[in-house]
Amino acid sequence: MGYQLNVQGFNALLSELSQEYLIYAPKCYPGGNTFSDTDCIRYGEIRRAEEIVFDRKSDYSFKEVLFPVSETLFYFTEEHVKEGDCPRKKGAVIFLRSCDLHGVKNLDEMFGGNGPSDYYYQRLRENVKFVLMGCSAAFENCFCVDMGSNVSEDYDFSVDKKDDFYYLDCKDKEIGEIISGLPHGEMEVCPEHVTQTKVQVRIPENLDASVAKSTMWDEYDNRCIACGRCNFVCPTCTCFTMQDLFYTDNGKAGERRRVWASCMVDGYTDVAGGGSYRKKNGERMRFKVLHKVLDYKQRNGHHMCVGCGRCDDICPEYISFSNCINKLEKAMEEVSGNE
Amino acid sequence: MDVNTKKLKKNAFRVTKERGLTASRVRVPGGNLDARYLSLLQEIAEKYGNGTVHITNRQGFEIPGIPFEQMPRVNEMLQPVIEGLNINQEEPGKGYPASGTRNITACIGNRVCPFACYDTTAFAKRIEKAVFPNDLHFKIALTGCPNDCAKVRMHDFGIIGMTEPHLDPQRCVNCQACVKACRQKSVQALETVNYRPQRNTEKCIGCGECVINCPTRAWTRSDKKYYRLTLFGRSGKKNPRLGEDFIKWADEDSIVKIILNTYDYVKKYINLQAPGGKEHIGYIVDRTGFEEYKKWALKDVTLPEIAEVSTPMYWKGIKY
Amino acid sequence: MSENAYVPFLSEIKEVIKHTAVEYTFRMAYEGEVKPGQFFEVSIPKFGEAPISVSGIGDGTVDLTIRRVGRVTNEVFEHYAGDKLFLRGPYGNGFDLDNYKNKELVVIAGGTGLSPVKGIVDYFAANPGEKKGMTLVAGFKTPNDILFVEEFARWKKAMDVILTVDCAEGDTSCQIGLVTQYIPQIHIEQVEEAVAVVVGPPMMMKFTVAGLLERGFKEENIWISQERKMCCGLGKCGHCKIQDRYVCLDGPVFCYTEGKNLID
Repeated sequence: MGYQLNVQGFNALLSELSQEYLIYAPKCYPGGNTFSDTDCIRYGEIRRAEEIVFDRKSDYSFKEVLFPVSETLFYFTEEHVKEGDCPRKKGAVIFLRSCDLHGVKNLDEMFGGNGPSDYYYQRLRENVKFVLMGCSAAFENCFCVDMGSNVSEDYDFSVDKKDDFYYLDCKDKEIGEIISGLPHGEMEVCPEHVTQTKVQVRIPENLDASVAKSTMWDEYDNRCIACGRCNFVCPTCTCFTMQDLFYTDNGKAGERRRVWASCMVDGYTDVAGGGSYRKKNGERMRFKVLHKVLDYKQRNGHHMCVGCGRCDDICPEYISFSNCINKLEKAMEEVSGNE
Repeated sequence: MDVNTKKLKKNAFRVTKERGLTASRVRVPGGNLDARYLSLLQEIAEKYGNGTVHITNRQGFEIPGIPFEQMPRVNEMLQPVIEGLNINQEEPGKGYPASGTRNITACIGNRVCPFACYDTTAFAKRIEKAVFPNDLHFKIALTGCPNDCAKVRMHDFGIIGMTEPHLDPQRCVNCQACVKACRQKSVQALETVNYRPQRNTEKCIGCGECVINCPTRAWTRSDKKYYRLTLFGRSGKKNPRLGEDFIKWADEDSIVKIILNTYDYVKKYINLQAPGGKEHIGYIVDRTGFEEYKKWALKDVTLPEIAEVSTPMYWKGIKY
Repeated sequence: MSENAYVPFLSEIKEVIKHTAVEYTFRMAYEGEVKPGQFFEVSIPKFGEAPISVSGIGDGTVDLTIRRVGRVTNEVFEHYAGDKLFLRGPYGNGFDLDNYKNKELVVIAGGTGLSPVKGIVDYFAANPGEKKGMTLVAGFKTPNDILFVEEFARWKKAMDVILTVDCAEGDTSCQIGLVTQYIPQIHIEQVEEAVAVVVGPPMMMKFTVAGLLERGFKEENIWISQERKMCCGLGKCGHCKIQDRYVCLDGPVFCYTEGKNLID
C-alpha cells in the first residue's frame, strides 16, 4: 500500500514506532570522521526524520546494529558462566538501502547457517523491521546493478524522500495501520531503484581458485596497508575474534567478548607457536576478493558482495575493489595460459 | 631626492640596496589568497617594478625594482588586494598602514592536509584582524599539527594544532593501528591494556594520529579544537632559539587574548632607546623576567580546564 | 531462540602427564562421542580460548595435549588434577577410522602433529585384528621434544615404528633425519591399496605427501589435518577459512584430493 506523508506525519510514524522499537538509520556525526572538520555518516539511533541522512551513502553499513563491533558474550567465574545481556531491549527498525538489505540476507545465512546458528546474532535479529530507502541515483563507487542487489522486495516499508514529502510503500500490516491513522495521502508507490551505475563489474564465468596464482595480486603487496577499513565498512563481512578479559589474578573470573576482525589486518591467521598463513597484503587482498565473488557463492549459491562500494569509498590508498574484480578475467587467462 | 624612509617602511615598502628603488611588500595572512590577485601583482611588477616577484619567507609577496615616486600608484593598484584579503586599513588607496607586526604565516591546514587539526587559514585571518595594523615587531605563525611544517617555533608566537582524542571502547577491535602509529610516528602515548588502547594523557601531544589511523571510528576528535602555544622563538644575531611550550591544550580565544595582552606588555617595557625603537619581545622578556610577562599575558584569560601552563619557562639556543 | 553454542562447560582435570619441558597432556572428564582429529576449544585462564586436538580417547575422558608456546598456553600449566577447565566441543570432522580398517596404514606425524593422530595409533594398537599392516613414522626436532615416549614401547609391539629426530647430539635411542627420508623404507605389500595419514607443520606435510605419491600411494588414500586459527569452532569467526572451506566445520581432516587444492 502506498502513502504520502509530510514531515510531521513521518515524525508521527517514527514516534509511534519508537514505542516498541529502537530506530536505526544512517545519521550524521559532525566532526566524527577521520580528518578534522569532516563528518561521518554511520548508523545510530534516531528519533526524528530530519536526522536520517538521505543524500549520502553511509560510510559504515547497518551491520553494527545486528552484529555489534564489540559484544560481551558472557561473564565467567571459576564455576559459572553468565550470559551477557542483550545490547538491545526493544525491537529494531532499520533504515537501509537495497544493497544493504541484500547484505542482511548474507548475514542471516552466515549466522543462521554455516554450522550451528549464532545465538548472539539471533537475539538481535529477532523483532527487526527493515525500511528500504529508495535510491534515485547511484553514488560514487556503487555497483549494485551488476551484483543484482539494486532491487529488493524484502522490506517492511520503503521510503523515498522527495522535496518535503516521504513516499512509503508499506508491506507490514501493523505499520500500515499506524500510517492509516495519520494524516496521509494514498497513491501507488514503488521505491526508487538504480538501474545503472557508473562503476561496472564483470565477474568472469570461469573464475576459480586457480586465479590465486596470478601475478595480479602482487601490486597489492605494496599498495595495501592492511588497515582493514574495507572489511569494517562492508555490510557482509562477519569475521570476529574472541577476547578474554580477566578480573582476577588467577584468570578465573572475567568476561569473554567478541569484536569484529579483518582478514586484512595482521594477526588474523596467527596460530599458536607464531605461524601465520597470509603474510603478504596481496595474499590477503586475494583472500578477501575471492571470498566476496567466488568462495561464498560456492557455499551459498550467490555472491557475498552486494556492490555497495563502501570499501572503495573508504580505502585510504585508493585501492578499488571493483577494479580488482575487473582484473580477474585477464588473471584467469594468465593462469590458464590462454594469453 | 627627498624620501622619508621611516614613513615608507611603515607603509610596507623598503629601502633597497639600489638607490632610488624600493620594493612593495604584500601581506597574505595564512599564505592563502584567491588566484585572481596574482595577475594584479603581475601587473604591478611589470608596470612599476622590474618584472619579478619574490615569494617571501613569511608567505607574502615582495615586488622589487619600484622607483620611490611610483609608491602612490602602487598603493592604489594594491587596493583590491588589500580589500580582497580583508586587511585592516586606515585610508583606502594609501597602502598598508603598518609593517612592524609581520604577516601571519600558516601551513596549508585542514582545508587540504589530512594531518591538520584545524583550519589554519581561518585562524591566521582572525589573528591578522585582531593584531594588524601595529608597528611592534611581532611574528606569529600557525601550524596544523605537531609535525610543525610551518616551523612555528621560530616565531614569537607559535600555534600548533591539537585534537583531544576520544575512544569509544565499544567500537575498538584491537587492530593496533593507533598503537603502532603512535609508537612509530608520534610519542608512544598509547599502550594496549585488556585489548584496548590506553592513552597516557601526560604524554599525548594531540597529533590525532590515533584518529587518522583508526579504521572503525573508535577514536574520534574532540568537538573543541585545542592548540599548543609556544613562545619567543627567534632567529637573529644575538641569541637564536626555538620557541618553548607555554600552554598545552589552549583554546583559540585565549591565544588571541594572550597575543593582544603581549602588545600591552611590550608597549610598557620596550626599550625606546633601541635602534629604530625596535626590540624583539624575547629580549624584553629576558629583561623583565618571565613571571612579569606571564602576569601580563594571562590577564583576563580564561583557559580551558585541561590547559596546562608551563611555568617557569626557560629558553636555550645559541648565545654569541 | 537457538542454543548458545558459545557457552563452555566445566570439565575436571583427571590427570596431568608431562611429556617434555613444554608439552603436557591433560586428561579431561568428558562423556560423549569423540573422534581422533577433532578438537576442543579450551578456556585457558589468563589467556583465552585455544583450539586443542584430542590426543587420546578414554572411558569418560579425553586427552588434550597442550604445547606451551609463548603466552598462549602457559597458564593452563598451573592447573593440576582436580582442578577444572572450561571446554567447548568437540569440533571438526576428525578421522574416520573406517577409512583405515583392514588396510595397510601408514601414519606419519611431525612434532605435535602426533597428537591428532594418536587416537588412530592407539585404536589399531588396541585392535590389531582390524588392521592389515601398520607403520608409524614420528619425527621430532630433538630427543627432548619427543611426545608420548612411554607409548612408543607399547606401539612397537603392535606395529612398525620409526621414531626419528632432526638432530640428536649423542642420543642413540632413535634414528636421525627427517620423516621423509624413511618413506622408501616403509614396508608395504600393495602400495596402491595402502592408506596414509600425514599431520605436521605445513612444509613437513607437503614433502611427506610428495614422498608418498612418489612411493605409489594414491591421492585419494592420503589424509591430512590442517592446523588453522579456529577461534569459534562454529563456522562463524572466519579465521580458519581456506577458499570455500571452514577448517573447523569441513576439516581439520581433509582427504588429499581435496586438501591439495586448498590455497590459504
